[in-house]
Amino acid sequence: MIDQLLLGFATALEPQNLLFILLGVLLGQIVGALPGLGPSAGMALLLPLTFGLEPVTAVMMLAGIMYGGQYGGTLTSVLIAVPGEASGVMTAVDGNAMARQGRAGAALSISAIGSFLAGIGAVTAVALLAPPLASFGLKFNAPEYFLLALLGVLAIGSLGGSPIKSLAAAVLGLMIALIGVDPLTGTPRLSFDQPLLMKGIDFIPVVIGVFGIAEVLASLERIESVKPIRTRLRDMWLTSNDWAVCRLSIVRGGVIGLFVGIMPGAGASIASLLAYLTERKFSRSPETFGKGAIDGVAAAESANNAASHGAAIPMLSLGIPGSASTAILLAALILHGIRPGPQLMTQESALVWGLIASMFVGNVFLLILNLPLAPVFAALLRIPYVYLAPSILGISLVGAYAATLDISTVWMSLVFGLLGYAMIKFGIPRPPLVLALVLASLMETSLRQALLLSFGSPMIFLERPISALLLCAVALAIVLPVLTAIRQRRFAERMKRGAR
Amino acid sequence: MLRRTFTFGTAALCGALLAGTAMAQDMRAPEGPIEFTVGSGAGGSPDVIMRTYAQIMAEQGIVPNAIVVQNRSGGGHSNAYNHVLGLPGDETTLLTLASPVFTTPIVQGTPSVIDQITPIALLAESELVLLTTPDSPLNSLQDVVAAATEAPGRVRVAGGSSGGNDHILTGLLETASGTTLTYIPHESGSAGRATFLGGNVELHFATLSEALELITSGTGKPLAIFSEERRPEEAFANVATAREQGVDVVYTQFWGVGGPAGLDPAVAAWWADKFAKAAESPQFQEWLDANLYRANMLTLGDAGTYFADGQQTFRDVLTRIGLAK
Repeated sequence: MIDQLLLGFATALEPQNLLFILLGVLLGQIVGALPGLGPSAGMALLLPLTFGLEPVTAVMMLAGIMYGGQYGGTLTSVLIAVPGEASGVMTAVDGNAMARQGRAGAALSISAIGSFLAGIGAVTAVALLAPPLASFGLKFNAPEYFLLALLGVLAIGSLGGSPIKSLAAAVLGLMIALIGVDPLTGTPRLSFDQPLLMKGIDFIPVVIGVFGIAEVLASLERIESVKPIRTRLRDMWLTSNDWAVCRLSIVRGGVIGLFVGIMPGAGASIASLLAYLTERKFSRSPETFGKGAIDGVAAAESANNAASHGAAIPMLSLGIPGSASTAILLAALILHGIRPGPQLMTQESALVWGLIASMFVGNVFLLILNLPLAPVFAALLRIPYVYLAPSILGISLVGAYAATLDISTVWMSLVFGLLGYAMIKFGIPRPPLVLALVLASLMETSLRQALLLSFGSPMIFLERPISALLLCAVALAIVLPVLTAIRQRRFAERMKRGAR
Repeated sequence: MLRRTFTFGTAALCGALLAGTAMAQDMRAPEGPIEFTVGSGAGGSPDVIMRTYAQIMAEQGIVPNAIVVQNRSGGGHSNAYNHVLGLPGDETTLLTLASPVFTTPIVQGTPSVIDQITPIALLAESELVLLTTPDSPLNSLQDVVAAATEAPGRVRVAGGSSGGNDHILTGLLETASGTTLTYIPHESGSAGRATFLGGNVELHFATLSEALELITSGTGKPLAIFSEERRPEEAFANVATAREQGVDVVYTQFWGVGGPAGLDPAVAAWWADKFAKAAESPQFQEWLDANLYRANMLTLGDAGTYFADGQQTFRDVLTRIGLAK
């Protein structure tokens, strides 16, 4: 195995391959930073350019776009609070809160370092343990996915602020997700025979509207008073305290991301949400979550990069793509005449190990690229808001169009911009809406698949060991906050009585 | 590299000369860059097929125009076909025909797409294989029929998507054998395959290239192939057809291409000629072999008849399983 990895490095370090890895991660960084145009769209656009290349060079470059996108997505999340992808929602909350406190540089740096360390860890796991991890990933199916998604939706209620308002926003998100076609039968529902609604409401116009456009609208009211964020150079870098706080967050985030990544049905957005929520349980200062917690940013960003690498495990050892990006990598292989499947690792070992080695190399490139540039990008926030606002609006609307090449998406994102504006005015938190929208389809589809698998018996959730464990976690997630609340109330009453 | 360019150059020249002679018939080339509209995401089978054609047409100089494969995914290919239906007479946009283009209008109760577009060519066909898990007690299609007769609805199929090719085939199998199966739809074919590989269900339909991987790696056991005759490849030589096993079902998945409504017949004929030329190239034949697909090049009116027959099968099955609106 070590021999094969060394051979892989020999391939990855050939000058031509190095160049294409660099090109891939650069492009990934750019498409990841544009809201709407995620890594998978970028990979699809560039797929034809890889036809003249050797297959191994082509997949190295495309994979570079895939994980480079996770680094790039951080930029817009932190700087303008518009997540480039669903996996960046938590970063858009805490990372952007840090930016408003003048700590954008620190947020970007810790994201780059966290993504790097978690990425390297995940690739090591791919290299050493791909086949056993892949069969572990297969133990997760519809019942487990449903409980994971349920856990996520329940946790949204506790993201901060009023739980009632958070849950209301989450329910609105779930309702929006129901519009379109029934995912299991393909029949239209809640579409009122409107072709626009029949396509369903995608995540991208919602996130662009609710985050990007709404933010600009809200700030228009106080455009005169919005001061550019004055950052001092020493706030740009990480402090030793930051590092002490984040070390373990990166490890936890990376491990969670890897495990979610190897499940063919889950994905980076669930990974970053679960890592963020786990981190709040471990954090020494959980009250800062949602208001600029650097450990929250570190965990979420480490998790989404680890997940994007972890998705390579089912792809390489089973031929099953765990994400839109890995599906395109597989397509690239097919277009180059290579048949992906369970035998890929043995039949095309040079290609597989070259790809794995290239991921180590690409992550190093991305770290070198992002660390010194973090303060530079952070300095963009010094631009007066009068100039920044129209650019944010422009980038948002172009992103909405680029996602579908359909002008109706632009209209839809404007409508959701108004909704987001109303939510800001009424003090309703926006992340629950977006997260619930992302989780809804997984939750609905997997619940119905699970019940089809069991011929309608709910016992399937108890009969499967992993599912039973997750069910306990769900029960705890519901019962614990209630118990804590009761205990606190009793404690407060006793204190009151004691004081009398 | 230089050598390769040179060969392509000569091929292009030959192609141009051939095209020149064929031009004598009623053909006219479209002007400007071309869009192949695909309703699946990048990486889906229709996308891979169109990219392969686009690549060969460009490299061999069969089509001088720039070709862009554009994914307009979502809404069961309706984003893609509505885009093309909205461009009547347009000469630079072609629609990729995959099963959702046929089934989505049937399921959603909207006007048929196939009846409106201008048929150009049938591009590729793929046979389907029925697989079970390696340790399953099922060893033949008869075993499946016996099990499903004994316990109706208790034999489960992990499938691609509702109304997809494997769903239609499940329906045909139920009708021919008088049984009931439980079809479990997924977000994609590969998501269904993950459910199958995880040992959660009994059955799974796969294309030949997917099946080959599962059979040779020992993760799937073939039960039947739904073609007229057995396949010659070593892995499939012992896989009996459904007909041999007493279940009269022959079904092939197919992909085609069409133009917008009211496309100038001369332009349609030009495209039919170009697709036929690309399909004849050794490069395409090699690709077909690698993916175990079949070429059955039908163009224009013949392709139109084929598509209409396909649509009728889809409509019959979807009506019987209660999905047609």
